[in-house]
Amino acid sequence: MKALLIDDERLARNELRRLLASFPEIRVAGEAQNARQAREQLSALKPDLLFLDVQMPGESGIDFLESLEPPVPHVIFTTAYDEFAVKAFELNALDYLLKPVDPARLAAAVERLPGQRAAPEPGPLRPGLLEAADKVFVREGEKCWFVEVGQIRLLESEGNYTRVHFGDAQPQLFRSLNAMEERLDPKFFFRANRRQIINIAWIAGIEPWFSSGLLVQLKGGAKVELSRRQAQEFRERMSL
Amino acid sequence: MEVSADISLRQADAGERERARARLYVLCQVVGWGAWMALETSGSIVFPDPETKRTLAETISIVVVIVGSGLLLTHFIRPLLTRWRWKQLSWRALLPRLVATSFATSALWSLFTIGWVHGVLNSPWPHKYSPLLLAFFDICYGCIIFFGWLCLYFLYHTFDRLNRSEIERFQLMTSVKEAELRALKSQVNPHFIFNSLNSLRALIDENPERARQSVTQLANLLRYSLQSGQLETVPFEDELGVVNDYLALEQVRHEERLRLRLDVAPDALHLPIPPMLLQTLVENAVKYGITPRPEGGEIAIVARNEGGGLRIRVSNPGQIDGGSGSPSTGVGLHNAAERLRLIFGERATLRLRSEAPSVVVAEAVIPLPLHP
Repeated sequence: MKALLIDDERLARNELRRLLASFPEIRVAGEAQNARQAREQLSALKPDLLFLDVQMPGESGIDFLESLEPPVPHVIFTTAYDEFAVKAFELNALDYLLKPVDPARLAAAVERLPGQRAAPEPGPLRPGLLEAADKVFVREGEKCWFVEVGQIRLLESEGNYTRVHFGDAQPQLFRSLNAMEERLDPKFFFRANRRQIINIAWIAGIEPWFSSGLLVQLKGGAKVELSRRQAQEFRERMSL
Repeated sequence: MEVSADISLRQADAGERERARARLYVLCQVVGWGAWMALETSGSIVFPDPETKRTLAETISIVVVIVGSGLLLTHFIRPLLTRWRWKQLSWRALLPRLVATSFATSALWSLFTIGWVHGVLNSPWPHKYSPLLLAFFDICYGCIIFFGWLCLYFLYHTFDRLNRSEIERFQLMTSVKEAELRALKSQVNPHFIFNSLNSLRALIDENPERARQSVTQLANLLRYSLQSGQLETVPFEDELGVVNDYLALEQVRHEERLRLRLDVAPDALHLPIPPMLLQTLVENAVKYGITPRPEGGEIAIVARNEGGGLRIRVSNPGQIDGGSGSPSTGVGLHNAAERLRLIFGERATLRLRSEAPSVVVAEAVIPLPLHP
């Protein structure tokens, strides 16, 4: 697993590098001391794992994550004191380490990481499509989520934003629905109408609707209307 | 910032209290004079004067005029009492004045009511008494009424003043306690401690000598900040020593991002300074001038003996309005200013200002204690 260390203090990065030396499954591929460097390293090294300092000069670790184009790699936060900043992630099975880092705690965090992801299947329809296991980072107010794309039931356009429905939450993503549609795999996601994209895997039931339209009911309760034209396309897709 | 908000809050409070008092005054006037009017009217009805044989309407109209004029008189006396500053007088000085005032008011009142009842309404003179005796009775009666009114008025104000000074003393006590508490809290910045410990861990392998030094510096800083609550002032030299330890630890963390310039006049070293004051200014300078800037910057400490006291300036890059990305809450500086005020009163100053271009300077003037 390739890891990128992001921390503004050289000594803090050194310390983490030293601690990680006892984990052969993790290879430190690079270091960055601020968000700008981290973005460069990210596109150059394509790491699977980030160790990310929450407090950094300029952009904070959270701001940095929010700026990333999905999918985001696995993230383990590091912070000196205020757990508050990372508490928001607890529900999302995301880990954080308090500095100075306790080696046993680091071992537990590494243990919890999902195993090295299988090499991507050759030939998705288009390059750059998000897979079901890929993660999207969403922040709304104090709360943040790492959402697996496969867990998203419904995406709704709200101007320049997209409301993302998954689990019990429906936060806004700072991307337009059209931009999201380009990244979503049409095998799973279907543009139901101008405002909504549904995840086909989450369909609970389909009813005929007015003027040869369809009413799609999603698991979790949401109902989405398909116009005649979209319904036609949907029938063709489903019959394939 | 916080200070001005606090003051405007207090002013809003005072305005509210003033309105409540005006309401209370109107209520007391209406209820008091109204009760007396009811008493007079019912008295005239139950025990009618056999000589005058007034109708009910006549009786009521006379009572209304008597009571109304009394109310108006007291209403016009009230602003005079404030203008003459009688509320500040002791009871001994006040009593003769109250007697004289009630007599004068009563004379005026009797003149008016007698003139009204017997002159304008043409009510016949009672045969029992001579007009002079009647006027005397009226004046005595009025004296009692107005004296009672004045006594009640000043009693209320005496109690109100007692009450308010009690509240003020209480507020002062809590604000002092709060300041002490906040001062204590501001002494140890946990973020800094844990980040330093983290750097230290790395330093142990990389530079054992520097690591040993850092442990001592961190111990010095912690000991000083824990003990400093017990002393009002310390020699500037002591404070500077600890600030140097602190800055050395910050330099371990920030390395070349933190640059230092120290310009301290030797004759300033023995001057007294509240403990943790320079430390607070320098910590602030690092927090807003170095931490948020990827490129870091320079922190300069200048100290001079100005004869009357110590003048220190701490400068860092940045803007006051938090243009550097980390919004300033001003809590640290606010506490430091409050501490200065508690110890030295208005003679000490602490100011934060912008100095061109994009340099922020915190300047404190610490006077010599009045009783060395």
